[in-house]
Amino acid sequence: MTRHEARPYATVMDDSQLTGRPIVVKGAGPYGGDLEIAEPLVTGAKTWADVDRDICMHAEQFPTKRWWIAFGVALAFLGLLVFALITLFYAGMGIAGVNQPVGWGSFIINFVFWIGIGHAGTLISAVLFLFRQQWRTGINRSAEAMTLFAVACAGIFPVIHLGRPWFAYWLVPYPNARGPLWINFNSPLAWDIFAISTYGLVSLTFWYVGLLPDLATMRDRATHPWRRALYNAMSFGWNGSHRAWRHYESAYMVLAALATPLVFSVHTIVSFDFATSVIPGWHTTIFPPYFVIGAIFSGFAMVITLMTFMRGYFGMKHYITINHMELMAKILMLTGMLVGFAYSTEFFMAWYSGSEWEGFIFRNRAFGPYWWAYAIMFTCNAIVPQIFWFKSMRRHTWVLFVVSILVNVGMWFERYVIVVTSLHRDYLPSSWGMYALTRWDYAILLGSFGLFFTLFLLFVRFLPVVAMSEVKGVMDPKVARRAGPSPAAPAGATLQEV
Amino acid sequence: MMPISTTGVLAEFYEPADALAAAAKVRDAGWTHFDFLTPFPVHGLDEAMGQKRSWIPWATAGLALGGILFAQGLQNYVMVYDWPMNFGGKPHAAWPSFVPVTFEAMVFWAALGSAAIAIIAGKKDTVPQPPPGIETGATVDRFVLWIAATDPKWHADGAQQFARSLGAGNVRLIDGGADV
Repeated sequence: MTRHEARPYATVMDDSQLTGRPIVVKGAGPYGGDLEIAEPLVTGAKTWADVDRDICMHAEQFPTKRWWIAFGVALAFLGLLVFALITLFYAGMGIAGVNQPVGWGSFIINFVFWIGIGHAGTLISAVLFLFRQQWRTGINRSAEAMTLFAVACAGIFPVIHLGRPWFAYWLVPYPNARGPLWINFNSPLAWDIFAISTYGLVSLTFWYVGLLPDLATMRDRATHPWRRALYNAMSFGWNGSHRAWRHYESAYMVLAALATPLVFSVHTIVSFDFATSVIPGWHTTIFPPYFVIGAIFSGFAMVITLMTFMRGYFGMKHYITINHMELMAKILMLTGMLVGFAYSTEFFMAWYSGSEWEGFIFRNRAFGPYWWAYAIMFTCNAIVPQIFWFKSMRRHTWVLFVVSILVNVGMWFERYVIVVTSLHRDYLPSSWGMYALTRWDYAILLGSFGLFFTLFLLFVRFLPVVAMSEVKGVMDPKVARRAGPSPAAPAGATLQEV
Repeated sequence: MMPISTTGVLAEFYEPADALAAAAKVRDAGWTHFDFLTPFPVHGLDEAMGQKRSWIPWATAGLALGGILFAQGLQNYVMVYDWPMNFGGKPHAAWPSFVPVTFEAMVFWAALGSAAIAIIAGKKDTVPQPPPGIETGATVDRFVLWIAATDPKWHADGAQQFARSLGAGNVRLIDGGADV
């Protein structure tokens, strides 16, 4: 039996052969119609054994010079973060740019920015799982890792924004000797504590559950007994038993079903921090959906940035194909248009509401002293992604990379616009002011990228960066199998087609 | 830890469809202490092996309810009973502002609890497994049938012959925790 006998279409393709369009088999469909098959998700005639080899390789060999250079740069920025934070704790909030009236500055901007980045990971792992989007298997592991590290970066900012971060534990409601003095559960800031910590821990659980079978694969490949014992403990002795898979799959589904509303709730609650105040420009009902869609938008941009590196530098082109990139570009364009729609709606409502303050704030946003921030935001977020109407642009690595960076810049400025322009000119002209980041604000912002990339590079070094057990499930068994006897499958035995 | 049978038969298949067809035959032949070790979950293999749906969602529902009760209890205790405060004359038991924390607590309990229970259930709600030291290749690319010696129908030669009749490759007897 030849390898492809059972398939009337190509399941072995090379990267250069991918078109992003379905393979059409004339007359092979139901009632004599055409059969349309998606192109393979894994290219290059890979077998299941190849998957393990290609993906575990990075964790099993001594890191490359490239990795050390990237890690060194990331570590330098992490050092900058540590230095800036120590200085901030020693000197106090005076060295940051926050003032009266702009009491929320770069720390809150960075917090919302990083939390937003995280959302795409959960979207890919949970929402696309529920929608049975099989292309998620190539990117979900690293996207979820991105979520965790983005949440880790985000978590720093509310704590340092407190001014006295050593009292951060006061935010946790527990019986204490201070009264007992409890937190105020009517406050969105208290909700935030629950939302962010739940999000971080549930994302970690989801990611780890997904890792279990792959850790077992790494255990079975390990040669050193300590390494073997470590991976065995980490995978809880997973042996691939289908009686365990049954509960595992059920739990994975349940986690996806819980993570989906969770991801929407988290940025909704973050937006409540703004929307429940009575500041013009913040006190709007559009904020929850606007924040959630913006978060998904920025997160997908970061996924594209990271995946470009994974494809280029870590040789993952066979698993993260250009088709994956194109699909992400489509989501980026869709969410970009939704974000642009939200900007326009805000403007319309500011005028339509007839509220003097609201109208002023929006005129001031677009044409006031911070017009440049608004222009950067609008250009990068609403206009630049329009380039993805063209298929050739969606499949062009450099275009994808540049657009993803621009979107990340634009989304940072979106939060800048929201936080700064609403606060710097409020109801009383006598209390107007201006805001600028100080060098310490910049150091902490850049340093947070150092923390993010340090964690991501460690992840690339020590753990399987592609969900091997999930990718294997979407490969064509006729191509991916090992040699061995094959009893003919009787009629009625069905196998899920890719 | 999970139950282990030091004796049993391992037999390999190389495609999910073959494992699926074999599983139905093993089930119909009346074996009960058998399992398939697979590199990824095979759709339909649960039914072919004669397994019922996983009961994990029921545990999730219970945990979710626990999270809701915990959060409601905590917030009402704090805001109404232990530290009632007057915020502009608004009611102490302001249920709409208790919704976000209640939701987050529900998700937190349900997600972390379900994951932990699923891992434990994979070890406990199962049949005796092959000894952990045996190399099966099931985490790479083999779909391995395991028939444990604890099965009431067990007979070492009979089990091997049966596995061969399914068309399996590399049928081997594991005896006393070692390849024979």
